[in-house]
Amino acid sequence: METVYLIVLGLLLIAGLLSIWRAGIGPTRFDRILAVNTFTSKSILFISVYLFATGHPEYLDIALLYALVNYVTSLALVNYLNRNPVSAND
Amino acid sequence: MINVVADVGLLCLLLTVALAIVCTRSPLSLVLLSGIYSIALCTLFVILDAVDVAFTEAAVGAGISAILFFAVIRPEDEPVTAFSWPSSRAILLGLGVGVLLLAGTLDMPMYGDHLAPAHQHLALRFLGQSFEEIGIPNVVTSVLASYRGYDTLGEVVVIFTAGVAVLILQPDNKKGPAKPGDRDRFAPELMGNPVLKTVLLRMIPLVVLFGLYVQFHGDYGPGGGFQAGVILGAGVITYGLLSSATRLKRIISDKWVTLGMALGVLVYGLVGVAGLFLGANFLDYSVLGPTQTAGQHLGILLIELGVGLTVSCTMVSLYYCFKQGES
Repeated sequence: METVYLIVLGLLLIAGLLSIWRAGIGPTRFDRILAVNTFTSKSILFISVYLFATGHPEYLDIALLYALVNYVTSLALVNYLNRNPVSAND
Repeated sequence: MINVVADVGLLCLLLTVALAIVCTRSPLSLVLLSGIYSIALCTLFVILDAVDVAFTEAAVGAGISAILFFAVIRPEDEPVTAFSWPSSRAILLGLGVGVLLLAGTLDMPMYGDHLAPAHQHLALRFLGQSFEEIGIPNVVTSVLASYRGYDTLGEVVVIFTAGVAVLILQPDNKKGPAKPGDRDRFAPELMGNPVLKTVLLRMIPLVVLFGLYVQFHGDYGPGGGFQAGVILGAGVITYGLLSSATRLKRIISDKWVTLGMALGVLVYGLVGVAGLFLGANFLDYSVLGPTQTAGQHLGILLIELGVGLTVSCTMVSLYYCFKQGES
């Protein structure tokens, strides 16, 4: 069972690295916001898998919090873009 | 094995994000990358078993920092080159400070060393006796709210002072009519978008409910007044982002928000003074109830309420200040 957890954690880390790459190079700001969202989802999964693997599922509140307030960053960005309109390919 | 993989992997991710942040010039990308940094850091705190710290990092990083950053950056600041290495002097300074910090860690006990001074002195007493003396399972809350009540009072006063300082610095309310170049005033409200309106208006009660759960469940699991305050503030500000700060002010006026900031500190202080009048020390809750643990329960509940009130009102107040003069 531990091998399964290890493989899943490793794959999630690679997925996180790929989304950091996307957030870093862009090129458009919509790529970046999607990358942040992807990274947050991967972190929620990472925290959950890690907590179950080490036997502390009572701390899932943290993953729950991310799942719940994940929208705030996107909403703040949408609000910013709404106030400062840009061309579609920026 | 799982610990090692998670530790090393996450530290590598953190290093990658930090390098990306150093090389990025665009403020918008910086805000998003620092969001990623905060999430990776929070995951690392979970692995280090510091769940209360992780909770704070999660609440602040995901809930409030992006709102405040996006309130102050402007498209005019976007540079032409989005990506460049910092100057050689900055690299030298960073490397120098890094080497000094690494040299500073040489004296510290090894990671996980059970003989470290921090695990010898008071920690043994807290871990061994806090359940008998305070009666709540989460030792972090016992230490934070009861054994070290003075320090937490200081932290709440610091947050209150910071909020007051921002209130003092904010520009004058009466700025006059909008200038034509002031496009913020004429932006359409996001409430007009049916998807955002339908989904997010239903999210606000859930976020507020979760905030209350964190507030009152802090005795038993990770969480407490600080984290709950930030979550509640984020839930309220969501409405402001959807419509506008002015519409939000009509529901929760800035006078009430400022009052709430002060009221939280007052509640905390009064609980301490109540202990004095009942014949114990300042911030000793044991005398507040019929038994020692009942008094501690009541005292911790009340001071966490004060902390939550001050923190949530400070968050909303910061949002109002940064949105001053906009529609």
